[in-house]
Amino acid sequence: MADSSEVSIIHESTERDFGFHAIIAFVLLITTWLLLMPWFPGIARQTLQRFHLRTPSFAVWAVQFPVPSMYNFANQYKVEEFPPGFVMMVFDENWRYANHFPARVITFFAGRHDYLSTQTDRWFTLKSSYRGQTLESRFHLEAQTEGGYRLIRIDDVEDSL
Amino acid sequence: MNDADTVNAASIPLALNRPLAAYRIVQAAILVTLLWKWEFFLRANSLYAEIPIEDPFFPDWLESVWTVRLAFWGSVLATGIGLVTSFVPLRKTSSWFAIGSMSVLCIHQASYNDMTFITAWWCCLWSVWLAHRSDSKNRELLMRRAAFLSRLIISVILLGGAAGKWTPEYWSGEVLYDIYFIDRDFWLFNYLRDTYEPESLQDIAKWYSRQIVVVETISGIGLWALPARWAALAGVLLLTGIVVLSNKYLFSVMACLIGLACIGFLVPRRSRIAKHPRQQTSTTGNLTV
Repeated sequence: MADSSEVSIIHESTERDFGFHAIIAFVLLITTWLLLMPWFPGIARQTLQRFHLRTPSFAVWAVQFPVPSMYNFANQYKVEEFPPGFVMMVFDENWRYANHFPARVITFFAGRHDYLSTQTDRWFTLKSSYRGQTLESRFHLEAQTEGGYRLIRIDDVEDSL
Repeated sequence: MNDADTVNAASIPLALNRPLAAYRIVQAAILVTLLWKWEFFLRANSLYAEIPIEDPFFPDWLESVWTVRLAFWGSVLATGIGLVTSFVPLRKTSSWFAIGSMSVLCIHQASYNDMTFITAWWCCLWSVWLAHRSDSKNRELLMRRAAFLSRLIISVILLGGAAGKWTPEYWSGEVLYDIYFIDRDFWLFNYLRDTYEPESLQDIAKWYSRQIVVVETISGIGLWALPARWAALAGVLLLTGIVVLSNKYLFSVMACLIGLACIGFLVPRRSRIAKHPRQQTSTTGNLTV
């Protein structure tokens, strides 16, 4: 049970502390965002776009970083050596789950090591779902002659948002 | 100071500089968080230089391997200085450098997805707040506020994990079955794979996933409201449990939060006389009312 003396520290006015109240307000703002996410599709859509690096503006994407998202949403990915539709259907079922930020399979250390060490083109498909909303994104990682890759977002995405 | 503070100051000797101890515990925990995956980051350091990815979504400087190197080492250095220094202005400055570096890591192409830096960022935010209050005359109130913020931060991080799992794929266990149960090399999942058939494993994954959803939801909603020491105990047990039952790399995410949870243990106990100062006044007469 909550001890009233513990909670009352918020209201104690013996020492005004703007920073203390600012952090509480910030946490409350994020809590509201999180609690509304299941009920307001627009909030879930923002997070789906955030996970796929598809937020229209980098600044809008960046300001969301404090929102904690450990193991959020059903995020799947598949990696192909050929453009989507080029090979037989059997390869299309090779989906795996990622915990959060499924674009990590492209950008993070483990993904680069596993899929981009060969310095040949790769195609990534990401699919994230949350309570009936789904976002699917395709990326072409084009190998560059000078080393490294160029990431190209393929516009032809299935989007049920 | 109010009545209770006066009583506490008189009845509980604060020989230990609790705010400073709290600050140092969290800095040490942030260092553990940053250095736990040391080998991983060392390999990443060279790989990011070998395989750059040009993506128009990120500004060039947030794709640069030099930026992520500077930000990582900057955060380690600033946190290390914050841990050892007794010079208050330096502690304040280093706390700002640490949160600045951590903010960069949270939006850099190479590190944005790693929850290690998100949890460390929240601990840095708490550290900036506390670093600027080392001259507070009311240390007990300061410690209560520090502990309150610590459990508030842990609550919102757990709630963030819970809210994203309120979806059928987590309730059925499908996601965690694929991530952990199929091929994750960790003692628990190795044991379960060796012991049970795949059909049973799916059932175990369902209940494993459901308990995570329920525990994160309850803790996210209620941990902040517990008394400081109970919240500290619950937080340490819960966060440690997540590591022990999931994977060792999660310790990098949880270490700083475990340090933050421990702040509750440093809150001075409120004695009965502190809760009933008027009664105590009549018996001892040494209170300021």
